[in-house]
Amino acid sequence: MTLHQSKYLMKTVKVAVVTLVVTFSSCKNDFLDIDPQGEQAAAAFWTSEADATKAVNAAYASLRSWGNTAFPALAVESIPGDDAEKGSSPTDATYFNDYDNFTATSTQGQLGGFWEAQYQNINYANQVLDNIPSITMSESLKSRYLAEVKFIRAYSYFRLVRAFGGVPLRLKVPKDATEYNIPRASAAEVYAAIEKDLTEAAAALPPSYSGEDVGRVTKGAALALHAKVAMYQQKWSDVLSYTNQVMGMGYSLVSDFEKEFRLENENSTESIFEIQSALVVGNAPASNSQYSQVQGVRGVTGGGWGFNVPTQELANAFEPGDTRKDATIIFRGETTPSGDAIPATGDNPMYNQKSYVPFRLYVTGYNEGAQQNIRVLRYSEVLLMNAEAANELNNPVQAIASLEIVRARARGSNPLALPKVTTTDKAALRTAIWNERRYELAMEGDRYFDVIRQGRGAQVFGAKGWKAGKNEVWPIPQTEIDLSGGLLTQNPNY
Amino acid sequence: MKKFTIILLLAFVVVFTTNSIAQQIAVKGRVSDNKGISLPGVSIRIKNGQGATQADQNGNYSINAPSNGTLVFSFIGFQVLEVPVNGRTQINVQLQDATQELQQVVVVGYGTQRKVDVTGSVAQVKGGDISKQVSTDAASSLQGKVAGVQITNSGSPGGTPKVVIRGVGTIYGNTNLLYVVDGMWYDNISFLNPSDIESMSILKDASAQSIYGIRAANGVILVTTKKGSKNRTVIDYTGTAGLQSLSNEVEMANGNEYATIINELYTSNGKAALFNNPQSFGAGTNWYDAALRTAFITNHQLSINGGGEKSTYNFSLGYLNQEGLVKGNNYRRYTARFNNDYTLSDKFKAGFNITGVYNDSTDVPGGIWHELYSSAPVVPVYNPDGSYGDPYAFSLGSAVQFNPMATLAAYNVKGKRYRATGNAYASYEILKGLTFKTSFGGDFGEMEYRNYVGAYNYTQAQKNTTTKLTMGRVNTRNWIIENTLTYDKKLNDHNVTLLVGQSAQRYKSYTSRASGEGVPYDSEDDLYLKLATTGTVLYTDGGSLSTTASYFGRANYNYKNTYLLNASLRADGFSQFYGGGNLWGYFPSVGLGWVVTNEPFMKNQHLFNNLKLRGSWGKVGNAGVPINPTIVTVNNAASLNAIFGANQNAYTGASISSIAYPTINWERIAGTNVGFEAALLNNKLSIEGDYYNKITEDAIFAIPVLRSLGLTSSGVVSNQASFRNRGAELSVNWRNTTENGLTYSVGANVGMNVNKVTKVTSGSNPILTGATGITNGAVVTRTVQGRPIAEFYGYEVAGIFQNTSEVASSAQPTAAPGDFRYVDQNSDGLIDGRDRTSIGNPNPKYNYGINTNFGYKNFDLSLDFQGVADVDVYNANIAYRFGNENFTKDFYNNRWHGEGTSTTYPSANVGSTTNSAPSSFYVESGAYFRVRNVQLGYTFPKSIASRLKMSRLRVYANAQNPINIFGYKGFSPEVSGASVLTSGVDANVYPLYSTYNFGLNVTF
Repeated sequence: MTLHQSKYLMKTVKVAVVTLVVTFSSCKNDFLDIDPQGEQAAAAFWTSEADATKAVNAAYASLRSWGNTAFPALAVESIPGDDAEKGSSPTDATYFNDYDNFTATSTQGQLGGFWEAQYQNINYANQVLDNIPSITMSESLKSRYLAEVKFIRAYSYFRLVRAFGGVPLRLKVPKDATEYNIPRASAAEVYAAIEKDLTEAAAALPPSYSGEDVGRVTKGAALALHAKVAMYQQKWSDVLSYTNQVMGMGYSLVSDFEKEFRLENENSTESIFEIQSALVVGNAPASNSQYSQVQGVRGVTGGGWGFNVPTQELANAFEPGDTRKDATIIFRGETTPSGDAIPATGDNPMYNQKSYVPFRLYVTGYNEGAQQNIRVLRYSEVLLMNAEAANELNNPVQAIASLEIVRARARGSNPLALPKVTTTDKAALRTAIWNERRYELAMEGDRYFDVIRQGRGAQVFGAKGWKAGKNEVWPIPQTEIDLSGGLLTQNPNY
Repeated sequence: MKKFTIILLLAFVVVFTTNSIAQQIAVKGRVSDNKGISLPGVSIRIKNGQGATQADQNGNYSINAPSNGTLVFSFIGFQVLEVPVNGRTQINVQLQDATQELQQVVVVGYGTQRKVDVTGSVAQVKGGDISKQVSTDAASSLQGKVAGVQITNSGSPGGTPKVVIRGVGTIYGNTNLLYVVDGMWYDNISFLNPSDIESMSILKDASAQSIYGIRAANGVILVTTKKGSKNRTVIDYTGTAGLQSLSNEVEMANGNEYATIINELYTSNGKAALFNNPQSFGAGTNWYDAALRTAFITNHQLSINGGGEKSTYNFSLGYLNQEGLVKGNNYRRYTARFNNDYTLSDKFKAGFNITGVYNDSTDVPGGIWHELYSSAPVVPVYNPDGSYGDPYAFSLGSAVQFNPMATLAAYNVKGKRYRATGNAYASYEILKGLTFKTSFGGDFGEMEYRNYVGAYNYTQAQKNTTTKLTMGRVNTRNWIIENTLTYDKKLNDHNVTLLVGQSAQRYKSYTSRASGEGVPYDSEDDLYLKLATTGTVLYTDGGSLSTTASYFGRANYNYKNTYLLNASLRADGFSQFYGGGNLWGYFPSVGLGWVVTNEPFMKNQHLFNNLKLRGSWGKVGNAGVPINPTIVTVNNAASLNAIFGANQNAYTGASISSIAYPTINWERIAGTNVGFEAALLNNKLSIEGDYYNKITEDAIFAIPVLRSLGLTSSGVVSNQASFRNRGAELSVNWRNTTENGLTYSVGANVGMNVNKVTKVTSGSNPILTGATGITNGAVVTRTVQGRPIAEFYGYEVAGIFQNTSEVASSAQPTAAPGDFRYVDQNSDGLIDGRDRTSIGNPNPKYNYGINTNFGYKNFDLSLDFQGVADVDVYNANIAYRFGNENFTKDFYNNRWHGEGTSTTYPSANVGSTTNSAPSSFYVESGAYFRVRNVQLGYTFPKSIASRLKMSRLRVYANAQNPINIFGYKGFSPEVSGASVLTSGVDANVYPLYSTYNFGLNVTF
């Protein structure tokens, strides 16, 4: 190659390369700047009232998730009690037995599921609380929204503190990785945060809603939950004060106890807070509650998986003539008031009737019983809390009066059943109220923690393996401790 | 084996018989070199006979020879060629350059290179070796052919095999390797008719892959399709038809055994026995017999190939019809491929390839394999009245509330796919040696899917009243533009090739899905959503879009063909990292080689025909990550719809439930390779060996985060880990032609790979995965520092509790006799999740193959063997139980059913949470050895073929996977798993089958 040729060659190469680079570098940056397709960037969210509404909706929706209402919740809150046991077929999901006999350790999976579900609710609430204050929107709606999610956050922390004791307390969305890993707060700190949220919520919430807002958190809900949280701390005068307020708000009991748990009585006069669930045709993801499905009658189309079934002990506990026994328990071979014949043979002699949805309402492709709202707070519980607080505060008259409202409804059409409690002996009356809580609230997820709160854990569950000084709380999920690099400490004796 | 030896012997007998009728004929013809230029002076003689001659000035010759004799052509500087006369009177031959062995060209990224000049690890497989196999996907034909390439086949009709080169290169996102077909990029080549392939080039080491930086992390396979040839027209037809049948069926417990073991299950759980008289059920139903069949497969291919001086063409049509093993399952593929190359002038060339593909399938539910495995044999397929047998009638509980035949009858899903893909190019030689090439490739596809759930009432649990029609469509629009400049120069002893290039790519897909209820079904023609019940029609869509801009260059240099230097650099910008990540990644490579045999001191040795030592280093990238991982998006899943109001309507919900790390880097793989290539004994023996070390840095995937953050995603995607694949490969090939005319070749290859996680940002916290239904919700794999990726993780079984006193004194006080006794790894006197440990490795250590070819007279035989060793499979089928599922015969025979009955198998209670927890019991060796392919062919003598107006006629019989040897107790140890992190977990795997077929090759 001559020098001339080589020069010419270099020139040609240069021209070609320059042409290429120019052609394509001109569009280089635009060409690569592509945003996610069909996804809204978080940076563009939190700009309008509609965004605030959607974010509040998400917090409500989270409450019906699997971890909040199905296996994890049943394992942590119901099956360890004496009212319920695993159910289903003997070999299915036998880890529930580890909760029933208190052999569950920190690696048992449902603990993590329950933990995560509560923190998901809390994250959705924190997102709203952190981000909507700066949105330009109706101020009254904004303050109501903030109050609604404070209730949701308080409710979730209450379930956590009741199950685990002190937990990491997140009251803000972590701003970066430095805020991800935080230690456990004490149970007292968690309770204080819950009470603060509920006080603020009660101050801002309306007593009721109409139309398309039915189902949102009300002032009554915030007060009733506050009463319950106070009751777990034995702050009896607070319990009395909050329940008295609720009792002045116009709630009343549905006359037929069984009917209170059917679809036609969702958001009834007795209802203080329910997790709204529905079967929305064409929208299976929104119809995702499995609360009823996992507890439904096994082996029947439209029934369910048959977990969390009533124990014989519970069936035996009811006083003679108590209408709540038949309304709480579906017995093998019976025909339900809704007209479903329950097969006389099957894996379990009893099923939970409070979560039951008539089989004919089942729609292929959706969860059985997706329609059923989960009754979180009912007026009867407010009455019983009022009774318990009044008795503790040495006011047996009010205690008996409140108790009698609950018993009267349970009596049904039989005036001879469930005689009115008349004792004014503080201890005897306390026992009567505790028993009444069991009959009235059976299978609603309170019995286990009620017994512990009442200091009777070893007495009632000891035979099943419950040990004082250990089983008051569940272990912190092991994976969470591992991921915290040991910053989270385990509960004693786990 | 014995059978095939006998066939071979018979073949010899036939050939020797035909030998005895020979006559002397006059043969003439022309001898030329491989470029068609006449070769004067070539000597021609008759093998093992008398008579010899020389070609004249024009390369023409004539000689008298026996009609069944063989002519031997020899000429200095060229390879000796033997041609059987086969009764022909005109024989034109082309002689190959003797140095051609060294001149062998391989396809490399953006060009070709003499094999001898390559400094990386590149394996080339010829089209003939691919199309010889009956695989419907050409990638599957590579199984056992190339050291270091691991292929896991999918049994489903039209399924794509999983291909792993030198170990798992990446965990997350796209783990497919890159296929470059005539310049266009693809994730798989299932659309390609294997017969259209001219060659496949497997780029195994990072230096060879590096020029494809962006997508090369999982390896690159370059596919060249057949082109036309000048001055002739050849019509070729290949047809095969055959049968596929299940091999290695797992025997299940029969009716009587099932009833017996279910009774044990009941009584051990404190319940009354379910069946009063187990004996009465006898053999019961074999559900596999009911649902499976010997399935038909046929494949036809017609190609026309030819051209003139200025243009060549290749046109082919293909048709594949494959039935699945499950009744009703079917896959059909129609392909048309057209290639045209023009030589417009000495300097200007242009051409295009285009492929049109249509395929359709009638599908079966993925869960059918689990149903067949678990269905109770006491339930009849049909009742005497013709209705489906109903498990409900046997009070079997909800876990087995299905009749698999009813499941199949109720399932009505069909898929269709239209695809047009190809590329066009033009090249111009600007100066001697300097060529500019531009090419445009496109891939345009339309995939349709429809699922109709009709109204039916088959069994208590299998009924439906609300019909539902779901229709989906995915359309893809991908293109790639590439421009390259290549400069070739030889200056004295210096040989240089330079390449610079640029590439732009765009990948777009759009998915839409609509469903509606109440659509009637009298025929397919009713399946329109306009017939759906008002208010039930739902529509949703989604899409993805990504673009890439790249610049690359490469220099190949050698001095005296002895010292080799190759270096390249690629810069890739990828839109997936837009929004906070580092858009651009840079991927260099360098390779050095020394051709020892070209050294003067090697001149006088006669052992080596070629000996080359080579070493290389390179980096490649992986961009197959979630799109825009640094951008937090709004979660607006319909599950966040809130329900409010008296009528309980749904209201849109949306919020933030994820976090992202602000910066993400490219996932990079740095690979080092050293190797040698040797040819010995007149090129009869060739050996190639490699050692490699491949390190994945900044691997992108999701690590678990604190659940108290309340996220809905299971982890946070970022650069989270580093891991290493280290291994060695050896290939040995021997080929020869014996004195009596037997030509044969025997090749063996083995690849060894060891995979290890070197760093995880979560420190000692393992990444636990595999939490799926098939392992009863338990985690079955973990990825942790110092161990292989996604190793099996669980309890170590120490034995079976024989009695209650053993239980009482153990760390498992709640266990029952017949349960597993686990090893208390942390010795805390308690068995829980902290006692889990490594229980197996799904990453195979050894992959090997033995490939042989024999040709004698008109017969040809090939025998291929292939295997995998030192690998584990997790048999999730055994404990995937919720109630009264069936058991395998093996389990039934070996189960614990009373003190002293077994120390290895648990009781019928194997499905309990304790026993079904992942443990060493479920981990089995996944090693296997198989006869991968056997083919015996016979080519009819020319005299017969020409009487039929053919130039070639061959018939053959083929068997694929006829013999499989393995100890695994499932259907097939070839288990790919849904993702890298669940690889080797077997549940519902489409089982292995053997294919037997006959074929015909005709050339006109």
